[in-house]
Amino acid sequence: MDVDREDVSRRLHVKFVTKLDSPFKVPVNSVAIPSNVTRLGLSSIVNSIIESDNPEWKTEPFDFLIDGELIRMSLEEFLLAKGISAERTLEIEYIRAVTPRKEEEPSLHDDWVSAVNGSSPRFILTGCYDSLGRVWRLAGSCSHILEGHSGAISSVALVNSNDAETVTVATASKDRTLRLFKFDPAESVDSTTKVRAYKILRGHKASVQSVSAQKSGNMICSSSWDCTINLWNTNESTSEGESVSVKKRKGNNQAEESQSEGEAVTSLVGHTQCVSSVVWPEHDVIYSSSWDHSVRRWDVETGKDSLNLFCGKALNTVDAGGEGSALIAAGGSDPILRVWDPRKPGTSAPVFQFSSHSSWISACKWHKSSWFHLLSASYDGKIMLWDLRTAWPLSVIDTHNDKVLSADWWKGESVVSGGADSNLRISSGIAIS
Amino acid sequence: MTKKKKGANEDKIIETKSKNVSGKSQKQKKPVEKELKPVEEGLKEEDLLQESGTDSDYDGDSLPGSLDSDDFDSDFFDSEDDGTQEGTEDGDVEFSDDDALEHEGSIDNEDDEESEQVESDKGEEDGSDEGSERGEAVEESDSSEDEVPSRNTVGDVPLEWYKDEKHIGYDITGKKITKKEKQDKLDSFLATMDDSKNWRKIYDEYNDEEVELTKEECELMRRILKGEAPHADFDPYAPYVDWFKWDDSIHPLSSAPEPKRRFIPSKWEAKKVLKLVRAIRKGWIKFDKPEEEPNVYLLWGDDSTSDQKSKHLTYIPPPKMKLPGHDESYNPSLEYIPTEEEKASYELMYEEDRPKFIPKRFTSLRSIPAYENALKESFERCLDLYLCPRVRKKRINIDPESLKPKLPSRKDLRPYPNSCYLEYKGHTGAVTTISTDSSGEWIASGSTDGSVRMWEVETGRCLKVWQFDEAIMCVAWNPLSRLPVLAVAMGRDLFFLNTELGTDEEQEITKERLHSGNIPEPEASVAAIVTWLPDELYGGIKIRHFKSISSIDWHRKGDYLSTVMASGETRGVVLHQLSKQKTQRLPFKIRGLPVCTLFHPSLSYFFVATRKDVRVYNLLKPGEATKKLETGLREISSMAIHPGGDNLIVGSKEGKMCWFDMDLSSKPYKTLKNHPKDITNVAVHRSYPLFASCSEDSTAYVFHGMVYNDLNQNPLIVPLEILRGHSSKGGVLDCKFHPRQPWLFTAGADSIIKLYCH
Repeated sequence: MDVDREDVSRRLHVKFVTKLDSPFKVPVNSVAIPSNVTRLGLSSIVNSIIESDNPEWKTEPFDFLIDGELIRMSLEEFLLAKGISAERTLEIEYIRAVTPRKEEEPSLHDDWVSAVNGSSPRFILTGCYDSLGRVWRLAGSCSHILEGHSGAISSVALVNSNDAETVTVATASKDRTLRLFKFDPAESVDSTTKVRAYKILRGHKASVQSVSAQKSGNMICSSSWDCTINLWNTNESTSEGESVSVKKRKGNNQAEESQSEGEAVTSLVGHTQCVSSVVWPEHDVIYSSSWDHSVRRWDVETGKDSLNLFCGKALNTVDAGGEGSALIAAGGSDPILRVWDPRKPGTSAPVFQFSSHSSWISACKWHKSSWFHLLSASYDGKIMLWDLRTAWPLSVIDTHNDKVLSADWWKGESVVSGGADSNLRISSGIAIS
Repeated sequence: MTKKKKGANEDKIIETKSKNVSGKSQKQKKPVEKELKPVEEGLKEEDLLQESGTDSDYDGDSLPGSLDSDDFDSDFFDSEDDGTQEGTEDGDVEFSDDDALEHEGSIDNEDDEESEQVESDKGEEDGSDEGSERGEAVEESDSSEDEVPSRNTVGDVPLEWYKDEKHIGYDITGKKITKKEKQDKLDSFLATMDDSKNWRKIYDEYNDEEVELTKEECELMRRILKGEAPHADFDPYAPYVDWFKWDDSIHPLSSAPEPKRRFIPSKWEAKKVLKLVRAIRKGWIKFDKPEEEPNVYLLWGDDSTSDQKSKHLTYIPPPKMKLPGHDESYNPSLEYIPTEEEKASYELMYEEDRPKFIPKRFTSLRSIPAYENALKESFERCLDLYLCPRVRKKRINIDPESLKPKLPSRKDLRPYPNSCYLEYKGHTGAVTTISTDSSGEWIASGSTDGSVRMWEVETGRCLKVWQFDEAIMCVAWNPLSRLPVLAVAMGRDLFFLNTELGTDEEQEITKERLHSGNIPEPEASVAAIVTWLPDELYGGIKIRHFKSISSIDWHRKGDYLSTVMASGETRGVVLHQLSKQKTQRLPFKIRGLPVCTLFHPSLSYFFVATRKDVRVYNLLKPGEATKKLETGLREISSMAIHPGGDNLIVGSKEGKMCWFDMDLSSKPYKTLKNHPKDITNVAVHRSYPLFASCSEDSTAYVFHGMVYNDLNQNPLIVPLEILRGHSSKGGVLDCKFHPRQPWLFTAGADSIIKLYCH
């Protein structure tokens, strides 16, 4: 940066502050910088300041906030747009830029990857059009294959994660069924283990599009093309007695395995078209999105929808999160990712609209711990990371060659995604404080 | 006055004529008249006393006098040339005085005027004469009865004849009457000033003496001047005395019978009335006065807008002249004259950028040279005139935007498909046909590469491929969601394919339907047309037709299927029943070569489109067509029906599309000409008010087609969007709407299926 040549009058006095820990800290005394620097300039200034103290410093991209807003233009323009005086010393907070720093090896599947789930930090779940579910411990190492479906898997969900020994996983498929699998992720085998479902949930009359589990892991809900949302029990023992245990001989080398069949506990009826996505973020609240252009919030106890947001477009995906897990993000048959705040009275208009994609949005997920961050995946092959504090994407992950069908956060610092190029991609090193 | 004059004229003529005979007769006549005068005078006095003499006596007096002077004039002219004068005189009789004659008329007129002038002069003189005469009489004798004739006997001749003489005339004995000695002006003035009665004195030039009016005479004149009866004693309102004795006249004065004309309406009057009536009717007579046009106009107004001139068809106003001293005048102001540098810069400019006229100064008009381009430009002007068409070009000053019909904004008609986000790729040949299943989850497509593919709408994933040997002509999903059967037509064969969707029970029913074990024996009537066979390839049923199939259509209940073959008459269309696995022929005759067929969405009607028109048959009532829709198109290619069932859309191979409102008429309600090439297919949305057409020009048009429940309101058709995107080779071969979303699928010859979303 050649600062010296700049006109003195065009300089701003700024003070860099951060909540980051020791290696990222800079001295709090104010510095004069030219007013026309952008984020990149600020980042290099901060990097050079840190480097002057710490010679082993590796350059790190930073993002900068003034009064809680991310800077996405030159500092001068930003101050002008926000009406902030340039006379006093500015306090600029910097955070590590939310962008993947590392791209893992792609994990190749046999067919399109239709579903990924990164709820468990120990493994990644994927569903595939070859009707198999897979468990990936790392990039490129598949530990378990979940088999049994006769149609493409459309969605996978982690049912319970608290149990360290075995985990329960639910898969939804286009063969109109859901299956529950149990496996031990910790067992260290070099080869992949095939796992069969312990429970088959039948009841949907058309393809199941989405599955989501309650926090407790006792129940799961699923949405389908038959316009209903079904709730199921996950426990193995048939306490209700209505599910009949069937014995199936499968193959000749496999031991006899009991497969129980379950029926829906209840159905949430109200959508008029395919229910494309469902999430169960709280104990008794289910959010669903549908091709009938609506997002609904269901009360599990009563089975009624307590909120109905109309969007105008067929929706493919929904997620609840953000501030107090109350914001609803949904995307669908247009390139706009919409975020609603149902707590806002008197309006059903979205509070945020992010429109940098160029095709349908196939997935959106809130970050589990941050109030501001969410990701979206689109058929244009891109995954975008968003911050509610700016209208531009923080980062665009453009690793897929074809449509991205599903994406999720993993371990809080990675993005896992699967798409029509049959790859599971993991982009890691995303610093979200 | 005119009347009197006319009368005078007439008299004059008569007398002139008599005078023509002998010029001297006047002299003989004059004394007679003169002799009469006293008699009249005497009578007058009596009249004044007794009867209503009024002022007619004055007229009577002045009349002969004026006549005399006239006579004199005409005499004078007569002596010059008699013949012409006579003619003109006659003319004078026939026409009025001021009627001009061709030759000598003007002179005549002048003469007339002159004579009139003279006449009036004379009249005045006469008056004074009379006055003097009377005055003389009064002076000589108090009694007015024996009035002494005037001293002078010269008669009524202009007195200036005697102006230079020493006498004024002759007395009765023929002796000269010498003029009195002229009094000195000063003396006479003094005399008049002295004389208190001077105001009553009048000089009588005729007799050359002073006359003093009496008091009575003054009173008389005053009364005459006031317009009253001259004599104070005269009572104008005296009671009427009926002198006629009526008592003994028992017979009418005339014994002649009343003539017939007294009793019949006048013929001439009737004719006159008739003439007037006709004139009124024909508008020759106008009762309302023509409006007076204002004589003022805007002097500085623009010529082109003044309506008085623009009424003329060919009037083109000339350009207004510039005010003096403008830059193109011969001696413009100095600031117009370009400097040398400016002139040099002009030289550097391109020919077209250079100013056309460079102002120059000349000291006088004389020193202006001739225009150097005059010859060239006049030649060009002549060329222009010679070559230009002799038609006044009509310039219509209408905003073209205002001619467009008022349509609702496209924004208000959303949602409609407008942008393509998804493509379904996998075919290797042109995609000829597509069909969506009833839920909208799947779409099937057939291609010229012989494959039928089933796609997932949401992701664009191809789920199933059926490979055949022939190019696929048609695919059609069964409209029932519980019977997921795909009908595929290629060549002469029709296949029923099991898509293996649906629940297990539905699959069982489907399999049972498509079980080919017990195909019943075909009826004799259809045996020649179709044969039901088991399909070895995919385990379904195939139906072999005697000709290649061009189009298929499912009935809404999913049991019947109609196929169209390129064959005339009744055999061109057959109905297959899937549940009974048998074929029926149509219970009616079809005229012409069928192109495509449609089942009515709710009733038992059946639409058959031939090349030129569409016929509607009732399947329950065999016989003739219930309705014939005349499209006016050259060749129908496709049709689609509105879900309400009353509106039909027909696409044609000339790029036109007809919208029929069947309640309205058998003629198209609207014909839309939008595609430059053949329309390959048309589609109507099941629930949204949308319809679309696709064409070989590789575009698809989306329209808003709102049908109202109110029968009085005609359907509203608004073009919404042109969907481009397919490569220009071969065009778009099929389009279908998503059954539940306002989305449009288009199948292109570029082997791609596109989904256009809202």
